[in-house]
Amino acid sequence: MELTVNGQRHQIDAEAGMPLLWVLRDILGLTGTKYGCGIAQCGACTVHIDGMAVRSCQIALADVGGEVTTIEGLGTPDAPHPVQQAWIDHQVAQCGYCQSGQIMSAAAMLALQGEPDDQQIDRIMSANLCRCATYPRIRAAIHDAARRLATG
Amino acid sequence: MIRAALVMLSLVLPAGAEVTTSVVAPPQEGSVSREDGLAAWDRVHAVVSHPRCANCHVGADNIPMWSGPEYPQTGPHGMNIDAGDSRIGAETLPCATCHVTSSAPANGPNDAPAAMIDWQLAPVDMIWFGQSSAQICAQMSDPARNGGRDWIQLAEHLRDDAAHGGFVAWGFAPGGARQPAPGDLQSHIDDVLKWGAAGQPCPE
Repeated sequence: MELTVNGQRHQIDAEAGMPLLWVLRDILGLTGTKYGCGIAQCGACTVHIDGMAVRSCQIALADVGGEVTTIEGLGTPDAPHPVQQAWIDHQVAQCGYCQSGQIMSAAAMLALQGEPDDQQIDRIMSANLCRCATYPRIRAAIHDAARRLATG
Repeated sequence: MIRAALVMLSLVLPAGAEVTTSVVAPPQEGSVSREDGLAAWDRVHAVVSHPRCANCHVGADNIPMWSGPEYPQTGPHGMNIDAGDSRIGAETLPCATCHVTSSAPANGPNDAPAAMIDWQLAPVDMIWFGQSSAQICAQMSDPARNGGRDWIQLAEHLRDDAAHGGFVAWGFAPGGARQPAPGDLQSHIDDVLKWGAAGQPCPE
Protein backbone atom coordinates (compact mmCIF):
# COMPACT_ATOMS: atom_id res chain seq x y z
CA MET A 1 0.00 0.00 0.00
CA GLU A 2 1.36 3.42 -0.90
CA LEU A 3 1.49 6.15 1.69
CA THR A 4 2.94 9.66 1.46
CA VAL A 5 4.34 10.95 4.73
CA ASN A 6 6.11 14.29 5.08
CA GLY A 7 6.46 14.50 1.32
CA GLN A 8 8.05 11.08 0.96
CA ARG A 9 6.34 8.14 -0.71
CA HIS A 10 6.49 4.79 1.03
CA GLN A 11 5.37 1.30 0.07
CA ILE A 12 3.85 -0.14 3.22
CA ASP A 13 3.51 -3.89 3.67
CA ALA A 14 0.96 -4.11 6.47
CA GLU A 15 -2.60 -5.16 7.24
CA ALA A 16 -5.16 -2.79 5.74
CA GLY A 17 -6.72 -2.34 9.17
CA MET A 18 -3.50 -1.34 10.93
CA PRO A 19 -3.96 2.08 12.56
CA LEU A 20 -1.95 4.82 10.91
CA LEU A 21 -0.22 5.47 14.25
CA TRP A 22 1.27 1.96 14.22
CA VAL A 23 2.50 2.47 10.65
CA LEU A 24 4.13 5.77 11.54
CA ARG A 25 5.85 4.60 14.70
CA ASP A 26 6.62 0.93 14.16
CA ILE A 27 7.17 0.74 10.41
CA LEU A 28 8.43 4.19 9.45
CA GLY A 29 10.15 4.92 12.76
CA LEU A 30 8.51 8.34 13.11
CA THR A 31 8.18 8.25 16.87
CA GLY A 32 7.44 11.93 17.36
CA THR A 33 3.75 11.04 17.15
CA LYS A 34 2.72 9.52 20.46
CA TYR A 35 0.42 6.74 21.58
CA GLY A 36 -1.69 8.04 24.44
CA CYS A 37 -5.07 6.38 24.88
CA GLY A 38 -5.71 4.61 21.59
CA ILE A 39 -9.40 5.62 21.60
CA ALA A 40 -9.44 9.25 20.39
CA GLN A 41 -9.80 10.63 23.88
CA CYS A 42 -6.46 12.38 24.36
CA GLY A 43 -5.12 13.76 21.07
CA ALA A 44 -1.48 12.69 21.56
CA CYS A 45 -1.46 10.90 18.20
CA THR A 46 -2.70 13.85 16.13
CA VAL A 47 -1.26 14.17 12.61
CA HIS A 48 -2.44 16.00 9.50
CA ILE A 49 -4.02 14.31 6.50
CA ASP A 50 -4.16 16.84 3.67
CA GLY A 51 -3.89 19.53 6.33
CA MET A 52 -6.72 18.35 8.55
CA ALA A 53 -6.01 17.22 12.10
CA VAL A 54 -6.77 13.51 12.47
CA ARG A 55 -6.26 11.11 15.36
CA SER A 56 -3.87 8.60 13.83
CA CYS A 57 -4.87 5.88 16.32
CA GLN A 58 -8.36 5.89 14.80
CA ILE A 59 -7.78 5.74 11.08
CA ALA A 60 -6.84 2.50 9.37
CA LEU A 61 -4.06 2.43 6.80
CA ALA A 62 -6.54 1.56 4.05
CA ASP A 63 -8.66 4.62 4.86
CA VAL A 64 -5.87 7.21 4.65
CA GLY A 65 -7.00 9.21 1.64
CA GLY A 66 -4.37 11.94 1.50
CA GLU A 67 -0.85 13.05 2.34
CA VAL A 68 0.19 12.63 5.94
CA THR A 69 2.20 15.20 7.84
CA THR A 70 3.67 14.37 11.22
CA ILE A 71 5.46 16.56 13.74
CA GLU A 72 8.74 15.64 12.00
CA GLY A 73 7.42 17.12 8.75
CA LEU A 74 5.79 20.27 10.14
CA GLY A 75 9.11 22.02 10.52
CA THR A 76 12.76 21.29 11.22
CA PRO A 77 15.08 22.32 14.07
CA ASP A 78 16.67 24.83 11.69
CA ALA A 79 13.36 26.06 10.27
CA PRO A 80 10.60 25.37 12.75
CA HIS A 81 6.96 25.98 11.95
CA PRO A 82 5.72 29.17 13.66
CA VAL A 83 3.75 27.05 16.11
CA GLN A 84 6.86 25.05 16.97
CA GLN A 85 8.88 28.26 17.40
CA ALA A 86 6.21 29.71 19.67
CA TRP A 87 6.23 26.47 21.68
CA ILE A 88 9.98 26.82 22.18
CA ASP A 89 9.80 30.51 23.02
CA HIS A 90 7.07 29.95 25.63
CA GLN A 91 8.71 26.74 26.90
CA VAL A 92 5.29 25.12 26.76
CA ALA A 93 6.33 21.53 27.34
CA GLN A 94 6.64 20.06 30.79
CA CYS A 95 6.91 16.27 30.38
CA GLY A 96 6.30 16.80 26.66
CA TYR A 97 4.41 13.62 25.88
CA CYS A 98 1.26 15.30 24.54
CA GLN A 99 3.03 18.17 22.88
CA SER A 100 3.44 16.89 19.34
CA GLY A 101 -0.32 16.27 19.24
CA GLN A 102 -0.97 19.71 20.73
CA ILE A 103 1.25 21.36 18.13
CA MET A 104 -0.32 19.47 15.23
CA SER A 105 -3.83 20.41 16.39
CA ALA A 106 -2.82 24.03 16.88
CA ALA A 107 -1.16 24.22 13.46
CA ALA A 108 -4.23 22.77 11.72
CA MET A 109 -6.47 25.23 13.54
CA LEU A 110 -4.34 28.26 12.72
CA ALA A 111 -4.31 27.33 9.03
CA LEU A 112 -8.06 28.00 9.09
CA GLN A 113 -8.72 30.37 11.96
CA GLY A 114 -6.46 33.41 11.65
CA GLU A 115 -6.22 34.81 15.16
CA PRO A 116 -8.57 32.86 17.45
CA ASP A 117 -9.71 34.22 20.81
CA ASP A 118 -9.44 32.28 24.06
CA GLN A 119 -12.87 30.74 23.66
CA GLN A 120 -12.09 29.50 20.16
CA ILE A 121 -8.79 28.07 21.34
CA ASP A 122 -10.50 26.24 24.17
CA ARG A 123 -13.14 24.83 21.86
CA ILE A 124 -10.59 23.55 19.40
CA MET A 125 -7.87 22.38 21.76
CA SER A 126 -9.98 20.86 24.53
CA ALA A 127 -9.82 17.43 22.87
CA ASN A 128 -6.03 17.47 23.35
CA LEU A 129 -5.29 16.55 26.95
CA CYS A 130 -2.18 17.57 28.89
CA ARG A 131 -1.61 15.70 32.13
CA CYS A 132 0.92 18.34 33.24
CA ALA A 133 -1.79 20.98 32.73
CA THR A 134 0.33 23.26 30.56
CA TYR A 135 -2.87 24.73 29.16
CA PRO A 136 -2.11 28.40 29.99
CA ARG A 137 1.21 28.17 28.14
CA ILE A 138 -0.43 26.30 25.24
CA ARG A 139 -2.95 29.10 24.91
CA ALA A 140 -0.26 31.80 25.10
CA ALA A 141 1.87 30.05 22.48
CA ILE A 142 -1.10 29.73 20.13
CA HIS A 143 -1.82 33.46 20.40
CA ASP A 144 1.83 34.16 19.69
CA ALA A 145 1.96 31.75 16.74
CA ALA A 146 -1.22 33.28 15.30
CA ARG A 147 0.41 36.72 15.36
CA ARG A 148 3.55 35.35 13.70
CA LEU A 149 1.51 33.65 10.99
CA ALA A 150 -0.56 36.81 10.42
CA THR A 151 2.54 38.94 9.94
CA GLY A 152 4.30 36.31 7.81
CA MET B 1 -12.52 29.32 5.82
CA ILE B 2 -15.49 27.01 6.22
CA ARG B 3 -15.47 26.23 2.52
CA ALA B 4 -11.83 25.18 2.76
CA ALA B 5 -12.65 22.84 5.60
CA LEU B 6 -15.60 21.41 3.72
CA VAL B 7 -13.38 20.68 0.77
CA MET B 8 -10.91 18.93 3.01
CA LEU B 9 -13.68 16.89 4.61
CA SER B 10 -15.24 15.73 1.36
CA LEU B 11 -13.51 12.39 1.17
CA VAL B 12 -14.66 9.79 -1.32
CA LEU B 13 -16.18 6.48 -0.31
CA PRO B 14 -13.32 4.04 0.20
CA ALA B 15 -12.85 1.42 -2.50
CA GLY B 16 -14.17 -1.99 -1.62
CA ALA B 17 -16.44 -0.67 1.09
CA GLU B 18 -19.46 -2.80 1.94
CA VAL B 19 -22.82 -1.08 1.90
CA THR B 20 -26.32 -1.95 2.97
CA THR B 21 -28.96 -2.62 0.35
CA SER B 22 -32.64 -2.26 1.15
CA VAL B 23 -35.89 -1.96 -0.74
CA VAL B 24 -38.51 0.79 -0.92
CA ALA B 25 -41.86 -0.86 -1.70
CA PRO B 26 -44.58 1.67 -0.89
CA PRO B 27 -48.10 0.43 -0.18
CA GLN B 28 -50.97 2.14 -2.05
CA GLU B 29 -51.65 5.56 -0.53
CA GLY B 30 -54.66 5.24 1.78
CA SER B 31 -54.39 1.45 2.02
CA VAL B 32 -53.16 1.59 5.61
CA SER B 33 -55.57 2.54 8.44
CA ARG B 34 -54.86 5.47 10.72
CA GLU B 35 -54.56 3.05 13.63
CA ASP B 36 -51.97 0.94 11.82
CA GLY B 37 -50.24 4.10 10.65
CA LEU B 38 -49.94 5.37 14.22
CA ALA B 39 -48.61 1.99 15.32
CA ALA B 40 -46.02 2.20 12.54
CA TRP B 41 -45.14 5.73 13.68
CA ASP B 42 -44.54 4.48 17.23
CA ARG B 43 -41.96 2.05 15.87
CA VAL B 44 -40.41 4.81 13.73
CA HIS B 45 -40.26 7.04 16.80
CA ALA B 46 -38.52 4.30 18.82
CA VAL B 47 -35.77 4.39 16.19
CA VAL B 48 -35.37 8.13 15.69
CA SER B 49 -35.48 8.91 19.41
CA HIS B 50 -32.87 6.26 20.18
CA PRO B 51 -29.53 7.69 21.29
CA ARG B 52 -27.75 6.26 18.22
CA CYS B 53 -29.87 8.64 16.13
CA ALA B 54 -30.95 11.45 18.44
CA ASN B 55 -27.54 12.24 19.95
CA CYS B 56 -26.56 13.99 16.71
CA HIS B 57 -30.03 15.34 15.81
CA VAL B 58 -29.60 18.31 18.12
CA GLY B 59 -30.70 21.93 18.06
CA ALA B 60 -29.15 25.24 17.14
CA ASP B 61 -26.54 25.12 19.90
CA ASN B 62 -24.72 22.65 17.61
CA ILE B 63 -23.57 20.56 20.56
CA PRO B 64 -23.91 16.79 20.14
CA MET B 65 -25.12 14.77 23.11
CA TRP B 66 -23.90 11.74 24.98
CA SER B 67 -26.89 9.74 26.19
CA GLY B 68 -27.99 6.13 26.44
CA PRO B 69 -26.91 3.07 28.40
CA GLU B 70 -23.25 3.54 27.47
CA TYR B 71 -23.09 6.76 29.48
CA PRO B 72 -23.53 7.15 33.25
CA GLN B 73 -25.61 10.25 32.68
CA THR B 74 -27.02 12.31 29.83
CA GLY B 75 -25.01 15.38 28.94
CA PRO B 76 -23.27 17.25 26.17
CA HIS B 77 -20.49 15.51 24.22
CA GLY B 78 -17.30 15.56 26.23
CA MET B 79 -14.19 17.59 25.35
CA ASN B 80 -16.14 20.83 24.94
CA ILE B 81 -17.20 19.77 21.44
CA ASP B 82 -19.11 22.35 19.39
CA ALA B 83 -19.91 21.39 15.78
CA GLY B 84 -20.60 25.01 14.83
CA ASP B 85 -23.12 26.33 12.33
CA SER B 86 -21.41 24.19 9.70
CA ARG B 87 -22.58 21.16 11.76
CA ILE B 88 -19.33 19.41 10.83
CA GLY B 89 -17.06 21.26 13.24
CA ALA B 90 -15.42 23.32 10.49
CA GLU B 91 -15.27 26.41 12.75
CA THR B 92 -13.68 24.53 15.63
CA LEU B 93 -12.67 20.90 15.61
CA PRO B 94 -13.97 18.86 12.67
CA CYS B 95 -16.05 15.87 13.79
CA ALA B 96 -13.94 13.81 11.39
CA THR B 97 -10.79 14.51 13.39
CA CYS B 98 -11.82 11.70 15.75
CA HIS B 99 -14.88 10.17 14.00
CA VAL B 100 -12.82 9.12 11.01
CA THR B 101 -14.38 8.20 7.68
CA SER B 102 -13.92 4.47 7.55
CA SER B 103 -14.47 1.53 5.23
CA ALA B 104 -15.08 -0.63 8.32
CA PRO B 105 -17.27 1.53 10.55
CA ALA B 106 -18.33 -1.17 13.02
CA ASN B 107 -15.22 -0.51 15.09
CA GLY B 108 -14.21 -1.38 18.63
CA PRO B 109 -16.23 -0.49 21.72
CA ASN B 110 -13.85 2.25 22.80
CA ASP B 111 -13.10 3.72 19.39
CA ALA B 112 -14.80 6.90 18.29
CA PRO B 113 -17.85 5.89 16.21
CA ALA B 114 -17.19 6.06 12.49
CA ALA B 115 -19.21 5.93 9.29
CA MET B 116 -18.39 5.58 5.61
CA ILE B 117 -19.31 9.24 5.07
CA ASP B 118 -17.90 12.18 7.00
CA TRP B 119 -19.30 12.47 10.51
CA GLN B 120 -21.65 15.43 11.05
CA LEU B 121 -24.73 16.65 12.85
CA ALA B 122 -28.13 16.51 11.17
CA PRO B 123 -29.55 19.89 10.02
CA VAL B 124 -30.98 22.07 12.80
CA ASP B 125 -34.54 21.75 11.43
CA MET B 126 -34.33 18.02 12.03
CA ILE B 127 -33.91 18.29 15.80
CA TRP B 128 -34.99 15.09 17.56
CA PHE B 129 -33.07 15.14 20.84
CA GLY B 130 -35.40 16.06 23.70
CA GLN B 131 -38.41 16.40 21.41
CA SER B 132 -41.76 14.64 21.94
CA SER B 133 -43.07 11.98 19.59
CA ALA B 134 -45.66 14.48 18.30
CA GLN B 135 -42.99 17.13 17.66
CA ILE B 136 -40.74 14.74 15.75
CA CYS B 137 -43.72 13.41 13.78
CA ALA B 138 -44.72 16.95 12.80
CA GLN B 139 -41.16 17.72 11.69
CA MET B 140 -40.76 14.55 9.67
CA SER B 141 -44.04 15.08 7.84
CA ASP B 142 -43.31 18.75 7.04
CA PRO B 143 -41.39 19.11 3.74
CA ALA B 144 -40.20 22.55 4.90
CA ARG B 145 -38.34 20.84 7.74
CA ASN B 146 -37.54 17.38 6.38
CA GLY B 147 -35.45 18.24 3.35
CA GLY B 148 -38.42 18.70 1.01
CA ARG B 149 -39.43 15.05 1.04
CA ASP B 150 -42.79 13.34 0.76
CA TRP B 151 -43.30 10.02 2.56
CA ILE B 152 -41.87 7.91 -0.24
CA GLN B 153 -38.85 10.20 -0.56
CA LEU B 154 -38.27 9.84 3.19
CA ALA B 155 -38.01 6.08 2.72
CA GLU B 156 -35.78 6.54 -0.32
CA HIS B 157 -33.54 8.82 1.74
CA LEU B 158 -33.09 6.05 4.31
CA ARG B 159 -32.29 3.54 1.61
CA ASP B 160 -29.86 5.85 -0.19
CA ASP B 161 -28.06 7.02 2.95
CA ALA B 162 -27.50 3.40 3.95
CA ALA B 163 -26.30 2.57 0.44
CA HIS B 164 -23.55 5.15 0.94
CA GLY B 165 -22.57 3.70 4.31
CA GLY B 166 -24.05 6.70 6.10
CA PHE B 167 -25.50 7.15 9.55
CA VAL B 168 -28.81 5.37 8.94
CA ALA B 169 -27.02 2.06 8.37
CA TRP B 170 -24.58 2.81 11.18
CA GLY B 171 -27.42 3.36 13.67
CA PHE B 172 -28.53 -0.23 13.26
CA ALA B 173 -25.00 -1.65 13.26
CA PRO B 174 -22.84 0.72 15.33
CA GLY B 175 -20.22 -1.85 16.27
CA GLY B 176 -18.42 -2.36 19.55
CA ALA B 177 -20.65 -2.64 22.59
CA ARG B 178 -22.90 0.19 21.46
CA GLN B 179 -26.63 -0.48 21.69
CA PRO B 180 -28.07 -0.33 18.15
CA ALA B 181 -31.29 1.41 17.24
CA PRO B 182 -34.23 -1.02 17.63
CA GLY B 183 -35.13 -3.32 14.74
CA ASP B 184 -33.41 -3.24 11.40
CA LEU B 185 -33.16 -0.90 8.44
CA GLN B 186 -35.64 -2.71 6.19
CA SER B 187 -38.29 -2.81 8.96
CA HIS B 188 -37.70 0.89 9.58
CA ILE B 189 -38.16 1.71 5.90
CA ASP B 190 -41.32 -0.42 5.80
CA ASP B 191 -42.68 1.36 8.89
CA VAL B 192 -42.01 4.80 7.39
CA LEU B 193 -43.92 3.69 4.28
CA LYS B 194 -46.85 2.30 6.30
CA TRP B 195 -47.04 5.55 8.25
CA GLY B 196 -46.88 7.48 5.01
CA ALA B 197 -49.53 5.41 3.25
CA ALA B 198 -51.81 6.08 6.22
CA GLY B 199 -51.41 9.84 5.64
CA GLN B 200 -48.55 10.41 8.09
CA PRO B 201 -50.78 10.47 11.20
CA CYS B 202 -49.17 11.96 14.31
CA PRO B 203 -49.90 11.33 17.99
CA GLU B 204 -51.73 14.09 19.90
